[in-house]
Amino acid sequence: MATTVLAPGSTRTYRRSALYEWLTTTDHKKIGILYLTNSFLFFLLAGSLALVIRTNLALPELRLVDATTYNQLFTMHGTTMIFLVLMPFLAGLGNYAVPLQVGAADMAFPRINALSFWMLPLGGVLLFSGYFFGGVAADGWTSYSPLAEAKYSGSGTDLWIVALLLIGTSSILSSINFLATIFKLRAPGMTLLRMPVFVWTVMVTSLLIMLATPVFTAGVFMLYIDRNFGGAFFDPASGGNPLLWQNLFWFFGHPEVYILILPAMGVISEVIPVFSRKPIFGYRAFIFATLLIGGLGFSVWAHHMFTTGSVYLPFFSLMTSLIGVPTGIKFFNWIATMWRGKLTFATPMLFAVGFLSTFLVGGLDGAILASPPVDFALHDTYWVVAHLHFVFFGGTMMGVFAAIYYWFPKMFGARLHEGLGKIHFVLMLVGAWVTFFPMHLLGLEGMPRRIADYSPAAGWNDLNTIETIGSFIIAASVLPFMWNVFVTLRGPRDAGDDPWDGYTLEWATTSPPPPYNFDHLPPIRSERPLFDLKYGHGARRAIAAESATVEGTHS
Amino acid sequence: MRYDAAPTGSSKCARGLPLSLQWSPRVRSLVSGAALAGLALLLGGCSALYPPQAATSQGADIRTLYSIFMVPMIVIFVLVEGLIVWSVFRYRRRSGDNELPVQTHGNNYLEITWTVLPTILVLVLFFISWQTLNKVEAQPANPDVIVDVTGFQWQWTFAYPQYDLSYTGIADQGPVLVLPADEVVHVRLHSADVIHSFYVPDFLFKEDVIPGQVNNFDLNLKDAGVTYSGQCAQLCGMGHSQMRFTVQTMTPANFQAWVQAEQAKARATPAPAASGQAAGPTLQLSASNTTSFDESTLTAVAGQPFTVQLTNKTAGAPHDFSIKDSTGKVLFTGLPLAQPGQTVSYSVPALPAGTYTFFCSVHPNMTGTLTVK
Repeated sequence: MATTVLAPGSTRTYRRSALYEWLTTTDHKKIGILYLTNSFLFFLLAGSLALVIRTNLALPELRLVDATTYNQLFTMHGTTMIFLVLMPFLAGLGNYAVPLQVGAADMAFPRINALSFWMLPLGGVLLFSGYFFGGVAADGWTSYSPLAEAKYSGSGTDLWIVALLLIGTSSILSSINFLATIFKLRAPGMTLLRMPVFVWTVMVTSLLIMLATPVFTAGVFMLYIDRNFGGAFFDPASGGNPLLWQNLFWFFGHPEVYILILPAMGVISEVIPVFSRKPIFGYRAFIFATLLIGGLGFSVWAHHMFTTGSVYLPFFSLMTSLIGVPTGIKFFNWIATMWRGKLTFATPMLFAVGFLSTFLVGGLDGAILASPPVDFALHDTYWVVAHLHFVFFGGTMMGVFAAIYYWFPKMFGARLHEGLGKIHFVLMLVGAWVTFFPMHLLGLEGMPRRIADYSPAAGWNDLNTIETIGSFIIAASVLPFMWNVFVTLRGPRDAGDDPWDGYTLEWATTSPPPPYNFDHLPPIRSERPLFDLKYGHGARRAIAAESATVEGTHS
Repeated sequence: MRYDAAPTGSSKCARGLPLSLQWSPRVRSLVSGAALAGLALLLGGCSALYPPQAATSQGADIRTLYSIFMVPMIVIFVLVEGLIVWSVFRYRRRSGDNELPVQTHGNNYLEITWTVLPTILVLVLFFISWQTLNKVEAQPANPDVIVDVTGFQWQWTFAYPQYDLSYTGIADQGPVLVLPADEVVHVRLHSADVIHSFYVPDFLFKEDVIPGQVNNFDLNLKDAGVTYSGQCAQLCGMGHSQMRFTVQTMTPANFQAWVQAEQAKARATPAPAASGQAAGPTLQLSASNTTSFDESTLTAVAGQPFTVQLTNKTAGAPHDFSIKDSTGKVLFTGLPLAQPGQTVSYSVPALPAGTYTFFCSVHPNMTGTLTVK
């Protein structure tokens, strides 16, 4: 059996302190773990803000916090969750898994990789430092102009701008790094169409980040000039246009949604086949759907602006409707992968099934918003809040936790405990539905988003109380997870190289992998090199030859 | 765990198609059961899943469209969740079963099916919604009533240019928009500062209020004698959640009578004086924004009337000077409002000694302390 020797001699003759090692590392695996840890800390922070928001809304006219504080709370919650939690979580998973899955020794530019990471905590500190300098941003994560102009908002908005410039630059750098790694450092035999689906989704995501984020960066620069140097890009009184901001923001902001969901879909597409003991159903269709989502993602941004009166509605409505099709393809492929498989339900698979059943709602309640007249009724109501949380929490966060449980044994050599994992999963699934599903009904009843307070006469009390209870169930779900990580890391590291009987290259090395990852690589003749090694590539071919209706193998 | 080249007990169809087109009775009953359950959920009046009955004919069209969309949505939801649950329970690995399942890599016919059918579905839905869009956006040439809505931080002004009437909200509940039923109402939206959104849930409709552009839409209200509440739907700063208003409908005849009465009332009230007659000592007060007064404390003499001269330096928003006591009871409301650039004097009757709160009734968030001693 041919093997490829990759690792240069990696035994160190000198020792450094562990802290120094973590602060200066350029190892993609350590940087990946740093990304995940940093994201989890910001997840706790932004989640705590959400608990204050939900508590304030539990009863009408409760007014635990004043209106300005409330506006700051949801602004920081949204900004943090999107830019410091979800994006870095996925970047961290990509950092950890992509070089391993393509059989590379590290990312293409290890130092740029470290730089990309360290810009994040710095950006986060800047964002929150407003609390010490007269208040953080309070204009919503969308920061619409003119509300975000100097006349209407304080210096927190400047900190928001600078923080997002840093975070945006970080993600542009890391996406270049991913693309260089994926295109230049794949192991011999790993053609593009033998890459794991997760690597494909990271690749498409990186393309989206590279094309979309610079537009956003330009936009926040313009806002900064408006605020500090007398610019008038968004000021109608001086010939500017407030809708220019919305166009720039959403030209980035909608691809951003796919940036946040595609890698989570990639994770699910790794987990479901392994725990179904089958290959992914329709690998090529899946890749095609991913590319289609990425492409269409650039032609739908103005569906966030249907009520501005300045959008050619039929075009954006048509494109938004069409983008549901590739997502549908993926759903059927996931289900067909489970179909007639032999399913086991370790925690990663539970979260994957949780993703399927919850993200589905986020797809359907979003599809209905593609219709401009329906959007006239539901835009800027709690329906939209429900939609985005079903996508980001029911989708992305479920995928992130699936990935953490899946790759934890690879990262640390120990499996997280199943019992605590199941408690975590059940609480999180129940909490998500209890918190976010009633928001649809509130939206239909006309409750606008981003209000600090509502009248007892509005009839929104019960649903709000239920949602608040749900949010505390979600908060409770995090505790068994943290305890699980704690006790697992103190326990024996006995997971072995390949605890899940996996398919892809990361399971072909030790747990945790050595510096530079591989001593030997198995031959790569399909998207499941390790499966081929364990069960024989020939057996797969025999199945394919037996039935004319089976799609050809990909090698 | 080796793959068995000729698995026993699995039919030819099982090896070829994971989801055979010749569905087994069990699968067929599952699919039809899911469709039936979806239909039942739809017809069984899970009315919470639907918006309220619309107050306007445009809103009624939107509600119909929503109901059309919900049919495939609910069917897809029940079908897909059903398939997930079915797979989870039906295809669990039994303990001791170490054989690999059939390694199916895909099926082009199925892929084409579940690409083409959803494409057709979304195209059909798109065309239906385009038809509704054209109906909702249609505007006849000669509306019966024109309303100019102006949003500013954090109140509304409703003006009727045909009748020379204008109302600015001066309380937490905002102004009342009186409209005739059975007539075409043309609404024009103006913003004096940031972006707002004019939203009445019962209209199933909102439109953004954007500085530098005038958005407009038509309404045909169905019922007279009904009150609807509305509020700003686009984050516009601190007072966003208090930026509420009310819509009151009337029969066309009653509406005309209301217009006549209001016009007569406006003629009877003297025009706002730029500076009124000063009674007693004069206190100076000014406002440069909608967050707070420039002065946070005022002092007056007990048992003696006094005058407050309010200078409004805020572009785009009116203010006034009002007083409430510590229990929140309003003792004095300053009218007329001081429009941007105006200075208005308010003659305040004598107050007993004590500490009061003065505030702007347009912006209840703007408060200060009035000490009377």
